[in-house]
Amino acid sequence: MSIVCLGLNHRTASVDVREQFALPEARLPALLDELCENTAATEAVILSTCNRVEIYAATESPPAEMLEEVCEFLLNGREVEDDVFYAHSGISSVEHLFKVASGLDSMVLGETEILGQLKAAYQLALEHKRTGGRLNKAFQKAFNAAKQIRTETNIQRGSVSVASVAVELAGKIFDTLGDRSVMVIGAGDTSEKTARALLSRGAHSVLVSNRSFERAEALAAELDGRAVQFDDWESEFTAIDIIISSTSAPHYVLDRKRLEPLQATRQHRPLLIIDIAVPRDIEPEVNFLEDVYLYNIDDLQAIADDYLRLREEEVAECEAIIRQKAVELHGSLDVRSTSSRPGDDDTAGETPATQATPG
Amino acid sequence: MNWSDKAYFCIAVTIYGIGMVYSLFLWRKGFRRDDWVVYSLLGSGLVFHTIAMAMRGFSLEQCPITNLYEATAFIMWTIVAGFLIVGLWQRLRFVGAFASPMLFVLGVFALIPDMDPKIAEGAKHDFSGALGSLHKALLLLSFGAFGLSAVAAAMFLTQEHDLKLNKFRAILSKLPPLERLEVAMSRLLWVAFGLLTAGIVASSAYLKQKKDTFFTTDPEMLWTGGVWMFYLVLLLLHWRHKQSGKRFAWGALGSFLFVMLTFWGVYLLSPLHQR
Repeated sequence: MSIVCLGLNHRTASVDVREQFALPEARLPALLDELCENTAATEAVILSTCNRVEIYAATESPPAEMLEEVCEFLLNGREVEDDVFYAHSGISSVEHLFKVASGLDSMVLGETEILGQLKAAYQLALEHKRTGGRLNKAFQKAFNAAKQIRTETNIQRGSVSVASVAVELAGKIFDTLGDRSVMVIGAGDTSEKTARALLSRGAHSVLVSNRSFERAEALAAELDGRAVQFDDWESEFTAIDIIISSTSAPHYVLDRKRLEPLQATRQHRPLLIIDIAVPRDIEPEVNFLEDVYLYNIDDLQAIADDYLRLREEEVAECEAIIRQKAVELHGSLDVRSTSSRPGDDDTAGETPATQATPG
Repeated sequence: MNWSDKAYFCIAVTIYGIGMVYSLFLWRKGFRRDDWVVYSLLGSGLVFHTIAMAMRGFSLEQCPITNLYEATAFIMWTIVAGFLIVGLWQRLRFVGAFASPMLFVLGVFALIPDMDPKIAEGAKHDFSGALGSLHKALLLLSFGAFGLSAVAAAMFLTQEHDLKLNKFRAILSKLPPLERLEVAMSRLLWVAFGLLTAGIVASSAYLKQKKDTFFTTDPEMLWTGGVWMFYLVLLLLHWRHKQSGKRFAWGALGSFLFVMLTFWGVYLLSPLHQR
């Protein structure tokens, strides 16, 4: 018995192709039934997300034949370019499943959302009794491998968005965000996201100050905070721990000369300033003041980019774990590795599906 | 095999040295990984260290603080034992990476032959009773706690520097947040200050017992009083929010370095302690 995988994703298909093949969640039970009844699949799991559609199937038939049938099932009379689908069989299909579960095959390397989506797809097939010994074992191992990779490597470490980098920085300065007050100066989109991220991590309150007081009030209402007149924001300074600034002012809103006396009133409490405005709102010399930690948009973006590089460096380590886990699973499943066609064996890796299903 | 207490102490110092080398690696890597290695090394070092101190204590039949070698070993023991407790909290475990270089340097210093002069055959150590041991133990425990606060200060300064200038390294590091380090520094200093105060009181009582006076102008007594006053000012300034975390950290680190660099000289100059 063999496990095969056939699908398309963000690398092989553009969004207009992916949306043609997207399978609505409500239809999945019926599609699983159809797949198992009309093809040689004895077990099946269908994964459909915005970035990928994949079918995992266990079969008694030769893998190439099974892939051909799955391809026809997925095409359902449609025609696509030759290289839209990818196909895996034997150990290669298991490795692919593990990579998907670990976020190695995702658009944002190492992201964790896919694991939840994969679990949901598996759960659906399990509830409809479309999985058996093979896929149950393969998916459980995939979830274990994802967990191991998450704990033993840095692939999921760190944030790749400006908002979450800001939250991480706050975590390096403040013991807890629970009793911290955040001030948003200039009601831009990124500052709103950053404020939301801080609130979701427990920040105590938000003050919003904007040249247009109506806009400040609107954002304050959305964030469950309080609006402050733009000319009055300094009066609230003593209670503030984090400032997010994103005005469209052509000059500095806050400079060292202005901040120094304000800082003296804060009894040496640390102050985190996130300046996401271009041109910058905060004079860079402010960072030289004691207890003040200033980060501008380039600093945050550099951190996010460094994180991405760090994740990329971890790929080899993740793949080694996956390879080892896949070999273990493959051995225990005794997956049939021979194929009816030359070059379509287990070690051949990814096989263009259209080779198995011309046309 | 019949090993002396010094041999066990040498093993402990060697292990602290290995810890120091590994700490340099951690430092270069920016404290990214969880640090069980240094914790385990210092833990195993403490076993040999404790055996060495216990052997010396049993041979003396008193708390082993009769010369500079023993005093240094006692301070080191306090620092390691304190670290092993603090290090139970994962986020404070990197204290070991900062403590191991200090332990190695102190250990090498303690092993200088003159620090541990041999007593003449048949002569007995001067056993000064419970008060004598108590005042030494309290003072040296306080120095151990000051040492740990200096370690927390070094962690604070590293993290603070990285947050200002080496931002990605700061994010990746597993050092605790600045505020937590400042609290740890402050609490350790208060504990150390309490022990130092108790040690000074015990010293005065011991002096009264031996010399019928509470105070003399002995260099070590004056020095201890000066150290007490300096730490009091440091703590009060911090308590009254007159000082930034960075200055407080420099104060804690600098004052401990001062204590360690001058303690030995003052001890040797003190007629009260050189009989």
